[in-house]
Amino acid sequence: MTAFLKSKGIFGGMTLAVAAILVLLPLLLPSATLASEILIFAMAALACNLLLGYGGLLSFGQGLFFGAGSYLASLAMIHGGFGLIPALLAAAVAGAVLATCVGWLSIRRAGIYFVMLTLAFSQMGYFLAYTLSKWTGGDNGLLDVPRPDLSLFGIRIADLSSAGAYYTLVAVLFFAVFVGARRVIDSPFGSTLVAIRENETRAAAIGFDTRHFKMLAFTLSGAVTALAGALYAMLINYVPLDNIAMSMSENIVIMTIIGGTGSLLGSLLGAGALVTLGDILSAMWPRWQMLLGLALILIVMFLRGGLWGGVEHALDRFLKIREKGNAP
Amino acid sequence: MTDGYILETQALALAYGGFRAVDGVDLKVREGTIHSVIGPNGAGKTSLFHCLTGGRRPTEGSILFAGEDITRRPAHRRIGIGMARSFQVTSLFQNLSVRENLRLAAQGRDGDRALTFWRSVAEGKAHLALADEVMERLNLTARAGVAAGDLSHGQQRVLEVGMALCGRPKMLLLDEPTSGMGIDDIPVMTGLISELGRDHTVMLIEHNMGIVMSISHTITVMSRGQILVEGKPDEVCADARVRAAYLGEAA
Repeated sequence: MTAFLKSKGIFGGMTLAVAAILVLLPLLLPSATLASEILIFAMAALACNLLLGYGGLLSFGQGLFFGAGSYLASLAMIHGGFGLIPALLAAAVAGAVLATCVGWLSIRRAGIYFVMLTLAFSQMGYFLAYTLSKWTGGDNGLLDVPRPDLSLFGIRIADLSSAGAYYTLVAVLFFAVFVGARRVIDSPFGSTLVAIRENETRAAAIGFDTRHFKMLAFTLSGAVTALAGALYAMLINYVPLDNIAMSMSENIVIMTIIGGTGSLLGSLLGAGALVTLGDILSAMWPRWQMLLGLALILIVMFLRGGLWGGVEHALDRFLKIREKGNAP
Repeated sequence: MTDGYILETQALALAYGGFRAVDGVDLKVREGTIHSVIGPNGAGKTSLFHCLTGGRRPTEGSILFAGEDITRRPAHRRIGIGMARSFQVTSLFQNLSVRENLRLAAQGRDGDRALTFWRSVAEGKAHLALADEVMERLNLTARAGVAAGDLSHGQQRVLEVGMALCGRPKMLLLDEPTSGMGIDDIPVMTGLISELGRDHTVMLIEHNMGIVMSISHTITVMSRGQILVEGKPDEVCADARVRAAYLGEAA
């Protein structure tokens, strides 16, 4: 089973498991909207994982890219008359450009200073959104974000106003992002990124300009995060100021760590666990996020591979016990 | 190429504040030779090495490689022109397999072309082939799938040299390749170096004089940031100043 999940082909193994999850998710959860929300955050966590799990870069700027994607797509639809696909593309491109700039400046410093720089950019973005209330709605959020029909070259393909139809769009995009992420990780670029995480001095000595690789990681991560932000705005027809706040960056990083860094399925698991728990617990206890803190502490201390690491470990042990049982 | 020299420094100096670690060094390494730089502790060997590999920018003087001025060229851009280095303290990708370490080193020669993110690494057949070839040469094929950090110290030192070899260099710069190796492993390393000397120019820094005598064509002895003596191994060995420098250290 774990060997199956570890198989290398980008359309085999793990990808098939994800396809199955995407089909089952709306059936198992109380609503398709919740399922969409999970996939949107899983997308953001996946993008964070590329930086953190593979590149070893802890970025607190993810909320900035997410929020920028939300605002840009929404404003393009409201004021620019953009359709669905152009709005999503515009968000992804803007996210890529923004992340490239943030990355370009932040990677000039290493370690704690790098983290602080991403944090500073994120805060700047927040206050900018707060200040430009004429455009963003400030504290009240940007209201009445439309969810246009899916159309291509003026031909209408599908009406997305039902939760199920919108989930299908999100699931297809998530699948594309997941397959893309697997390819990126298995590419010369991805392998070099891991090398830089492992030993940057050596990576430079064998000929890599490590800054270029970190910057491209930011570009890709920013594009996907902004895409997730745009999808989220269309899901809830609204852009709360929280989308670009520090708490968004935190949530994305926490989902990535809880799910397991360095594993793409982990990001889906982390986002799924957090969004579902939040949905259930927030109805019961408004301070449920305290439990989140506890969960993070436990996972960081006792489950270094995150939830996915735990699942893998359990599967391995289960298979070993069964093998022993079958042996004469 | 100027007069068969592949690497030349002119009045090279590296100062840390008032202290001149390298103080006016004119070093010439002839192409196709094994050239050792030795000297007692604090002679400036490692500082010189840092200047040559791009780890430190010299405060004065210049470095020419194959006739090209590379004084201010950053470390990662020296691979492309045919210089590759090893580290004194083993510096590998500890959690990656031996084969992946070497494959990455082969890929490093591509520089920014490795930014390709839409292709699989499996398509980089040339890198895999080079990694396998070097692995065979280093006698590490049986350990291809083992994490570099799980190799014995001696094997890690050998892999360290292999990483440099995967850059398909004209010249190998080795920083104390036998450092930390057991007395039994040292002949493996000196054997490897003299074999590499057949198709590469090799420059090595070494603290222990005994190790380089048998394999070097030329030996430069450094002391206090300057070149003390340079010549063939037997000449250097017989030189009274060299003895004094080493004895001075012992005293």
